[in-house]
Amino acid sequence: MNSKLERQLAELLEADIINSDTAQKITAFYRTKDENKPNRLFTIFGVLGALLSGLGIILIIAHNWDDMPRNIKTIFAFIPLLFGQIACGYSLIKKKSTTWIESSATFLILAVGATISLVSQIYNIPGDLSNFLLVWTIITAPLIYLLRSNLAVIIHLVLATWYACYSGYSFNSSGHVPWLYLVLFAWVIPYYVLLQKQKPETNIAGVLNWLLPLSLVIVLGTFTNGDTLLFLMYIGLFGLFYNLGQLSIFKNQKLRRNGFTIVGSLGTIFLLTILTFEWFWKDSIKETYDQIEVLITCILFLAGIATLAYLHLKKQVQSFNLFQYAFLIIGLLYLTRGIGSVYGIVATNLLVAALGLFAVRIGINKSSYGILNYGLLIITALIICRFFDTNLDFIFRGILFIAVGAGFFFANYLLIKKQRKTALSSTSNTQNHE
Amino acid sequence: MNKSIYITLLFLLFAVQLFIPAQMIYEQEDTLDTGTAYKFKTAPIDPSDPFRGKYIVLNYEMNSFETNEEDWSDYSGKVFVYLKTDAEGFATIKNVSKTLIDTSDEYVIAESKYNYNDTKVNFDLPFDRYYMNENKAYDAEISVRKAQVDTTKICYGLVFVKDGTAVLDNVFIDETPIQEFVEEYQEGIQ
Repeated sequence: MNSKLERQLAELLEADIINSDTAQKITAFYRTKDENKPNRLFTIFGVLGALLSGLGIILIIAHNWDDMPRNIKTIFAFIPLLFGQIACGYSLIKKKSTTWIESSATFLILAVGATISLVSQIYNIPGDLSNFLLVWTIITAPLIYLLRSNLAVIIHLVLATWYACYSGYSFNSSGHVPWLYLVLFAWVIPYYVLLQKQKPETNIAGVLNWLLPLSLVIVLGTFTNGDTLLFLMYIGLFGLFYNLGQLSIFKNQKLRRNGFTIVGSLGTIFLLTILTFEWFWKDSIKETYDQIEVLITCILFLAGIATLAYLHLKKQVQSFNLFQYAFLIIGLLYLTRGIGSVYGIVATNLLVAALGLFAVRIGINKSSYGILNYGLLIITALIICRFFDTNLDFIFRGILFIAVGAGFFFANYLLIKKQRKTALSSTSNTQNHE
Repeated sequence: MNKSIYITLLFLLFAVQLFIPAQMIYEQEDTLDTGTAYKFKTAPIDPSDPFRGKYIVLNYEMNSFETNEEDWSDYSGKVFVYLKTDAEGFATIKNVSKTLIDTSDEYVIAESKYNYNDTKVNFDLPFDRYYMNENKAYDAEISVRKAQVDTTKICYGLVFVKDGTAVLDNVFIDETPIQEFVEEYQEGIQ
């Protein structure tokens, strides 16, 4: 049992809210609960050990032992791989604990990488890092399902993202669109869906709630060369994320576990702020597109709309939330961009301001200082952009800044007042009951 | 799914994981044993790979050819480079084609891009990485560059070729393997 709970129990006892009998019962309950829990610390240390030793082997191999004969080096190449396979086989056959499964899976994945590296090194096999990462990811991917290993999912996603970036962002030679990334990404989805259905509260579910959207955000840029369409594509993706985050399975969890909502919201605001500048709307009229880029953008928007429709059908939308529709508004503005750039600029500026005010409203309703000040920051960001961008005169800009500064004080003051009022009424209620 | 299926699938996966590096080794060993050796003139530079360690990139002199085929302009993709040996024993090009030719000549498969001329084809030979000990790769670049400026020494890669598979066996400076050449250079500066 943790010391925080012990302290709180002592406090409650002292305040005479619970009696010593109840306190003992609570202590006994948590003690038995803790005993049934698998030892997390062992798993963490086991995995860390496997991770570090696996990476250590890779580094030792990278040194390149050129004094050693080729055949001896080749035999050495298979030792970590066989060791990892024996450990994984033993874990599965003997139904060993999570610690065993996670550590052996982690070690095996790294050992596969080490073996391929050493063979490539011994024979000077051509091919850049992306081919190497791709082969590595593919031949370790089934471990996710065969061993049900959480670490295997995390490493798989990291390797797949790395492969896609290396292949697609053309650091080395000309870039190739990493289509296979989509297959590698789709491979973990059934695992993730099952996890969300069976154990949505676990740590791994929380980690994947962040890793999955972040991986897609990092990789999406490799699928296009277009300037303005790239922005639209990302707006579609962030819109989809935000709406996914509103599904009850995510919304009922703590906000910090809801990576989809946070990534979606921050991404949308960041891009919309860029879209308030003139150049985007001027360039968008001139740009020509590739069919595939247009197709990906359409798929992302349709997926966003489908999620939104699902939320309405399942009555998971309690009240109107502008953030859920921001991507659609930008999509419509983009489709009608022929009308003229001024129209796009004005509408986007208004949208960002409205989103800021909306966040302020949500913050006040939920009594959350975080969301309230996020809304105010959106408005501030918008005004700072206009500070550099427009031909507005100094007095007007000065007044705008003062108004927003005053807004910060006023909105936070309102929230403090509201919270005091609630606190007062709840105290008077308790006194009345007594 | 019951446990035995899981175990069978896991062992199948193990077999694949063992097969892939073994297949890589077999293909290279077979080419080294039974392939034809060619010497490709080159110059090395030194970068690094996070997993496989330091290597030198070999810039081969053989990187373009005037062909009988036309329509090379804007072509990018694979090309078959057919080889022969010159009087000094170095590899030269007999022919380059977009498709396989029915001939007994050995060939390597290269990547072609940046073609602006209808009859001249540009390409990069695939065996351009030679992995070296981390303490020798950088000095390899420096020592070979010096040797090529100061003397008439020739740097070349010894490549075994069989049915399109090419294995870079070693890099030589005249008749000295690059490892020994670098060791001598490192002893010289100490």
